[in-house]
Amino acid sequence: MNWIWFHKLGSPKWFFQWANKWSKFAFFIGVLLLTIGVVWGLGFAPADYQQGNSFRIIYIHVPTAILAQSCYLGLGVAGIVSLVWRMKMAPVFIKAVAPLGAVMALIALISGAIWGKPTWGAWWVWDARLTSVLILFLLYMGVIAIQNSLDDMQLADKAVAVISVVGLINLPIIKYSVEWWNTLHQPATFTITAKPAMPMEMWLPLLLSTLGMYGFIAGVAMWRMQAEVLVREHRANWVKKEVLDNGI
Amino acid sequence: MTYSSFFYSEILAVFRRKQDVVNALVFFLLVITLFPLGVSPSKEFLQPAAGGIIWCAVALAVLMSVEGMFKEDFNDGSLEQLVVSGLYLPILVLLKLLVQWVSVIIPLLVLTPILSQMLFINWEILWVLVLTLLIGSPALFLIGTIGAALTVSLRRGAVLMLLIILPFYLPVIIFSTGAIAAAQVGQPYNGQLAILAAISLITLTLSPIMAAVSIKASVN
Repeated sequence: MNWIWFHKLGSPKWFFQWANKWSKFAFFIGVLLLTIGVVWGLGFAPADYQQGNSFRIIYIHVPTAILAQSCYLGLGVAGIVSLVWRMKMAPVFIKAVAPLGAVMALIALISGAIWGKPTWGAWWVWDARLTSVLILFLLYMGVIAIQNSLDDMQLADKAVAVISVVGLINLPIIKYSVEWWNTLHQPATFTITAKPAMPMEMWLPLLLSTLGMYGFIAGVAMWRMQAEVLVREHRANWVKKEVLDNGI
Repeated sequence: MTYSSFFYSEILAVFRRKQDVVNALVFFLLVITLFPLGVSPSKEFLQPAAGGIIWCAVALAVLMSVEGMFKEDFNDGSLEQLVVSGLYLPILVLLKLLVQWVSVIIPLLVLTPILSQMLFINWEILWVLVLTLLIGSPALFLIGTIGAALTVSLRRGAVLMLLIILPFYLPVIIFSTGAIAAAQVGQPYNGQLAILAAISLITLTLSPIMAAVSIKASVN
């Protein structure tokens, strides 16, 4: 396989042009899948035999929860890339994705609370899964805070990369919290190895909305990264040309 | 410069540095998270302790937000300009504090119902908690200002300020948690609220003057 296209993405200019092509594609495919998944899930999927209709919030809750963790994984990987190979795009990625991940974690927490009320009888319990996602949210807020507080961009990029890498420790804790500790939270909905416990009609819309959420976030992240590239490279000639030609 | 232009510029400054407010709120959330994880997440512990937990977290978050209040102004020299501007310094301090108070206490009040759910506070008790926050928190800010003004010129002022100011926070915390505890067992809590209001009013009259004296001492 040819990896040149991937290495080229390390250059802001190439990334910008590449994202021009792919961001809309990812975004609209994402929105399409998300809409299909959510409408199917909320309107047409069969009700759960135990939880009735209240289980339907899963079509919001699970995609956002998965995205919250995936975004942090991306942050951590970008942090390593930024510290080891000093690629220019890695800090841009972190800066663009951290707020998105924070919003995803927040939506996951809120939808979880709304789901918890009818099923557990409480908005919130101090359960391992919930608490570790709350900490994930706080880690995101820490990354954003340090990004916004340090005026020196070089220092800010480095600090944020370090925090992102250190925070990776929380991901396995979230992942296995439902297995390591006794909790109210049900175990993972998706597993690659085992057959899903849900019937196909309930499971497929969930898969669609999760994939859709990935596409949606990928599109938005690319736009945010493009904006950040324009700010950081504002002295480069290609940016001047880009702005003059396409009037961004 | 007039009082109103100063007030307006303070509002603008808070809007443009939202991160400071967000930091105080995240800190507030983190301190609250420590208690269920550190002591016990059970309802039997959290429900009676919740008022105290929230008030301790509020006190620390307020200290954190007040601590940096004069720092920027001191570093860029505008604090000196305030001293020589000819306007009455305590009023300026009070205006600055008002902006600070509103910018922290409103998001805090929005967060409080969510947090009180997480700590199993009943809705009736929540109102008492909100009342104590509204009546008691001005005192926290006003007392904190004196410390912030005293330590503004020091490089490691934050810890020193904590040491100076926290003892003065104790009465506020005692009476507000007292009010919440009284409400939880169904007793009247007007007395505690009245004392809280008295503390806030006394600090309102004294602390701007004391803060102005300390600012003059720090700037010299």
